[in-house]
Amino acid sequence: MMIPRLLPVGFAALVLFASARASAQAGPPAPHEDAAFDVMTLLSQHGLHNIDNESWNVYGQFTYISSWKLPFKAPYTNTNVNANVNGGTYSLLPTAERSFTGTFSLFFGLKLWRGGEAYFVPEVIAERPLSGLHGIGGAIQNFELQKTGSATPQLYRARLFLRQTFGLGGDHVVKSSDPLQLGTVVDSRRLVISAGNFTILDVFDRNSVTGDPRQTFFNMAFMTHASYDFTSDARGYSWGGTAELYWDEWALRFGRITPPQNPNQLPTDFRIWEHYGDQMELEHDHSLFGRPGAVRLLGYRNHVITGRFDDAIAAFDANPAENAAECPITGFNYGSKNASAPDMCWVRRPNVKLGIGINLEQYVAKDIGVFLRGMYSDGNTEVDAYDPADRSLSFGAVAKGTLWDRPFDVTGVGFGMSWISDSHAKYLAMGGVDGFVGDGYLRQAAEGIVEGFYSVNLLKAVWLAADYQFLWNPGFNADRGPVHIVGAKIHAEF
Amino acid sequence: MPNSSWHRALGFAAVLLAMGASASRAQAQQQAQGFAVERFYPSAPGGGWFVMDALDMQGGLGGAMALTLGYARNPLRIADGLQSLSVVSDEATADFGFAVTYRCFRLSLDMDMPLVITGEGGTVGGYAFAAPSVNPGVNPDTLSDYRIGFDARILGQPGGRFRLGASAQLFIPNGHRADYDTDDTFRGMVRALLAGDVEHFAYAGQLGVHIRPLDDSPTPGSPRGSELLFGAAGGAKLPVGRGADWAVVVGPEIYGATAFRSFFAANGTALEGLLSGRLEGTRVNSVQMRFKLGVGAGIDQHFGAPEWRLVLGIEMFNHNR
Repeated sequence: MMIPRLLPVGFAALVLFASARASAQAGPPAPHEDAAFDVMTLLSQHGLHNIDNESWNVYGQFTYISSWKLPFKAPYTNTNVNANVNGGTYSLLPTAERSFTGTFSLFFGLKLWRGGEAYFVPEVIAERPLSGLHGIGGAIQNFELQKTGSATPQLYRARLFLRQTFGLGGDHVVKSSDPLQLGTVVDSRRLVISAGNFTILDVFDRNSVTGDPRQTFFNMAFMTHASYDFTSDARGYSWGGTAELYWDEWALRFGRITPPQNPNQLPTDFRIWEHYGDQMELEHDHSLFGRPGAVRLLGYRNHVITGRFDDAIAAFDANPAENAAECPITGFNYGSKNASAPDMCWVRRPNVKLGIGINLEQYVAKDIGVFLRGMYSDGNTEVDAYDPADRSLSFGAVAKGTLWDRPFDVTGVGFGMSWISDSHAKYLAMGGVDGFVGDGYLRQAAEGIVEGFYSVNLLKAVWLAADYQFLWNPGFNADRGPVHIVGAKIHAEF
Repeated sequence: MPNSSWHRALGFAAVLLAMGASASRAQAQQQAQGFAVERFYPSAPGGGWFVMDALDMQGGLGGAMALTLGYARNPLRIADGLQSLSVVSDEATADFGFAVTYRCFRLSLDMDMPLVITGEGGTVGGYAFAAPSVNPGVNPDTLSDYRIGFDARILGQPGGRFRLGASAQLFIPNGHRADYDTDDTFRGMVRALLAGDVEHFAYAGQLGVHIRPLDDSPTPGSPRGSELLFGAAGGAKLPVGRGADWAVVVGPEIYGATAFRSFFAANGTALEGLLSGRLEGTRVNSVQMRFKLGVGAGIDQHFGAPEWRLVLGIEMFNHNR
C-alpha cells in the first residue's frame, strides 16, 4: 500500500518542475481541506493508498502573488540619486511599483520505521520585491519574498529533516495526511524529536486561524510575530533540532537552530554550539463555549554575531571615521556609503537578543476564528534574520465561506503594528541602515498595517484571491506614507 | 634607406613579439568556466543497480523513492605533462529520486544535492582554474541539475533471461558552472538498456548518447560536446532469508563515457569500475527496501572518473501485481 500509484502526481510534479516559474516562503504548509482535491485522497479513494496509516505521501503547491503599490508622498527618500546619498536604495520608493513572487513546492514524506519519518521539500522561487525589499519594517506586503531571491527561478532544498515520535500513552490522536505529516495515529502524550533542515515556523508559533499564509493573509505581519527574529538563512530556513513534549492539552517545545554567518545572508553558521537561536514555547489547547482555542507563550534567545545600536552610535560619536563608508574589508555592511552615518560593520560581535510573545487563537463560530499575537524583543541589536521590528502586535479574524454556502472560500481582515526601540530609532535617524530599513532620517513612529482579503475557491484545488493593504509609517517613519497596496494571488494544491 | 628599412623591420618584429607576448598573456589569463564534472549518473529509483537498470518494472501502479549518498576523490584532475591540479578534489553529494511505475514504464524525478565540492585553483596548460567551494555553510540549500527520466521495457519479463529497454532523460540546469555541478545548459540522455537473470546470475548493460551542448574544447579536462555512454554490470544473485524474501546481489559495474569529438581518445574518455552489493526485498504487493553499497575507482581518469568513489543507497519500492 505504498509508494506506488502516483502517476498523476508524478506527471503533475514533473511537468510543473520542467516549467517552474515560482518562489518560496518560510511559513509552514497548512493542512489540506478534507473535501478539497489532492492526489493522495484520490489514490486512497481508488484503493491504491492507505491514507490513514501512510508509509509515504507527496503533496505539492503552486502560488503566484502580484502586488501593486500606488504612488505615495515622501518628503525624502534614501536612494543614491537624491540628497540622502547612501550608495544604494534603502527606502520604499514613492513611485508606483509592481512586485511578484511565484513558488512551486513538492512535499515528500516517508515513514522509515516505527515513529520515524523523513521529509524532503524541494522548492522553486522567482520574485521581484518592491524597492529591492527595502523601506518596510514589520509589514512587508508579501510573506513569500526572500532576501536572496531573483526574477530568475531558483531551485533549492527547502527542507530535509527527520522526525521521531515516542509514544508516552494517553488517548489516541489522529494525524491526518498532510504536507509534512504522514497520516497516522499518535498518543496524546508523546515526545517528538525533529532534526535537520526546516523552518522553525514548522514547529513554533503555529496558529490554526491564520494557518498557511498561502491560503490567507498576504502580509508578513500575520505569518508570525513581526518582531520574532528567529535565526535562519536568507530564505527563512535553518538547521537544527527541536523537541516537543505533548501531554494531552499541553505542549512544551524547545528548539535550537543555526543563524546566518552575516545578518540576513544565505551562508549559514554551523557552529551551533557557539552561535545559535534558542526558542521555547508552552502551549495550552482549550475549549471555550464549545469552540476550540489555544494559548501559546513563546520566548527566544539568540546568541549570534550582530551589532548593538548603542555600540555603533558610540563608535561613530567617538571617531567619525568609523562610519558606513569606511567599513573595514572584513566588516559586512549592506552597501551603505554614507560617510556621516554609523554602521554595524564596526561593532559586530557575539550578542544576545531576547524576546517573549503570546499567541492566541479562538474559534467563535463554525469556521470563524480570531487570532492575536504580541511580542516584545529587547531591541538592542540589529535584525539577524527576520525583520527589523522590535515589538509587534497583530490581531484579526478569518472566516471560511460556510455561512454563504461556499465552504472553501476564505476571507479575513487583520491589523498589525510594530515598533522599534529608542536606540534603534536613533541609529536610523543618524542615517544608519538596518537590513531592510534606513531612510537616511527618521521621525520615529509605529508602522501599521490593515489588510483585507477574499479568496475564491475554484475546482476544489485552486484559489483566486484579491487583497488590499493600507500601510502607514513605512520603515517606522512618520514622514513617509501612507501607502496603498493591492494584490492578487492564485494558489493551487494537489 | 637601408638603415630605415632595417629599423622598420626591427620595429615590425618588435610589434609582432609584443603581440605574441600579449596573446600569450591573454591565453594564460583565460579562465576555465566550470561544468558538470560528475559522470556517475545514478539509475532511476527502483532501478536496482547503482548505474545500470534491472528493468523489472511490473504490475499496476507502483513506485520508488531513493536516496544515494556518494563521495568521490579527485574527480577532476588536470595535468599538462609538467604540472597537475586537482580542480575538484573532494565531492560529496546526495541524490534524491522519486519514481512512478506502471506495467513496463517508469517516470522519475531525480534531484542532486551537492554537499561538498572543493578543489585547487591554479593555472595549467595556459588556463586558469578557479577552485569550487561548495559547502553547507556557504551553500546551505543548493540543488544542482535535476533529471526527469522516462524508461520503458520493450522486450522480456521481470526475472527473465533477457530484457531490453529504452531510456530518455532530460537534465534541467540549476546551479553555477563555477561550482562544477552544472553545464548551465539543458542536456539529454538517450540509452538502450538491457538486463536479465540467468538462474543465480544477474546482468545489465547500457549503450547510449549523452546530448551535451557544452563544448569547452580545448580547455584541458573540459567537455567536448556530446558523448557515447556505455556500461555493463553482472553479479551473483542469491536468495536470503526464509521463503527467499530477500536477495543479495554482488558484482561489478563498469561504465564510462567518451566524447564523439575525440572518440575513445585518452583525453576525452572516462572509465570507471564499481564493485557493488545490494540487499533487496523480493516480495510483490508490499513495500520493499533495498540497501546498496558500492566502492570503485576510475580506470581511466578523465572527465569526472575519480581516483576512488564510495556510494551508499537506500531505496523503498513497490511492485503491484
